[in-house]
Amino acid sequence: MDPNEVEFLGEKQLVTIIPSFTFNQIHLISGSIGPFRAGLPTQVPIWLAVNLKQQQKCRIVGQEWMDAKLLIDVKDEEKTSKFFTKMPSDHYMDETLMLLGVAPEDIPQAEEIRTIVKDLWDIRMSKLRTSVDAFMKSDSAFAKLDHLTPMEINCIRPSLPHALDQRDRIQTCGSRPRDSQDTQRS
Amino acid sequence: MDDSVADVSEHLDSSDNEEFTPGKVLQDIENAWLNEKFAPEILPHQSELVDCMLEQISHMEENMKKLKKGDIRLAIHKMEIDRIRFVIKSYLRTRLEKIEQYTIHILSEDDKKSPEESYLTPGERKFAKEYLANIETLFRTVALQHMPANFQAFEVDKLTVKPNLNSHVFLRVNKPVQGIIVPGTTNDEIDLTAGAQRLIQYQPIASLVKEGAVQLI
Repeated sequence: MDPNEVEFLGEKQLVTIIPSFTFNQIHLISGSIGPFRAGLPTQVPIWLAVNLKQQQKCRIVGQEWMDAKLLIDVKDEEKTSKFFTKMPSDHYMDETLMLLGVAPEDIPQAEEIRTIVKDLWDIRMSKLRTSVDAFMKSDSAFAKLDHLTPMEINCIRPSLPHALDQRDRIQTCGSRPRDSQDTQRS
Repeated sequence: MDDSVADVSEHLDSSDNEEFTPGKVLQDIENAWLNEKFAPEILPHQSELVDCMLEQISHMEENMKKLKKGDIRLAIHKMEIDRIRFVIKSYLRTRLEKIEQYTIHILSEDDKKSPEESYLTPGERKFAKEYLANIETLFRTVALQHMPANFQAFEVDKLTVKPNLNSHVFLRVNKPVQGIIVPGTTNDEIDLTAGAQRLIQYQPIASLVKEGAVQLI
């Protein structure tokens, strides 16, 4: 899967904006949004928030978890825990990139947040690599991936399942005549 | 314009008593898209969802014609429709790619099923048949007819490509399921609790994907 497609899924998350225009409720196929009152916060999907921001029709308030203090706590917990901890959002990385990318001036402590989220990502990815390595050596048939976000899963998508498929092929080759009609595609 | 969505959802409610809003249909299509993307084999078609959503889109586009140029809603609705179209197109294309790759296998599996439980839509079936016929014609005109008489047969069996159902997939559990047996060295039995995420072979959970008990991610 293309990382853009993961981001596409993340764009469905709601975010609070403060519109600079006034308009009635808008009925989208995915649900209704608004009504918009200039200066009063309302929730819209991120794809719309980004677009409105680009037209300078709103200010993005940011997600509740986009708070340097809270994120430092999350980061510390992630550092001390052996397992993956639950992230404040399933798309924490993509949301941060999208919202801070389009509206760095709207979100307080944008730079700090960006750095902490990047650290968080690095910690989790290195944990992920270590556990993938341990998993491959363990000979177990399935893996628990609780609390991993779609973007992180996507990062190990091409290699890990493919490696496991190949391991299985080698194992089955030894035990029974090879089925030459199976495809190798993962 | 404002009552457009209400209209359609009312129409849907009459055909099915479950909670069936356009938003829910959209979510179902997105789930079907992800499942189709990650499953090694072709899954039962969801043409009802697709048709329903296409109807929604044309309904919405009708309504958009009534809006004045420069209305803020025009751009917003257009953006949403583009997003939905992308999902539908990607979903249908993924299915066509699988049909092209596993044509013979899919057709022979499909022949065993009654038309109601066929995994393919009539259109997809027609596509698969024509694709296979074209391949055969190509083989014959390019190579087979120039072969010695006893090598001229178009051997369907030897050309069959099957999907590898033992490949590994990522999944999220929607409904708890117990006692899944993973084929392999250890024969572990595992329980899936709602909300859990796992990496596992496709074969033991294939039926759960089709039932909607698990979602591939």
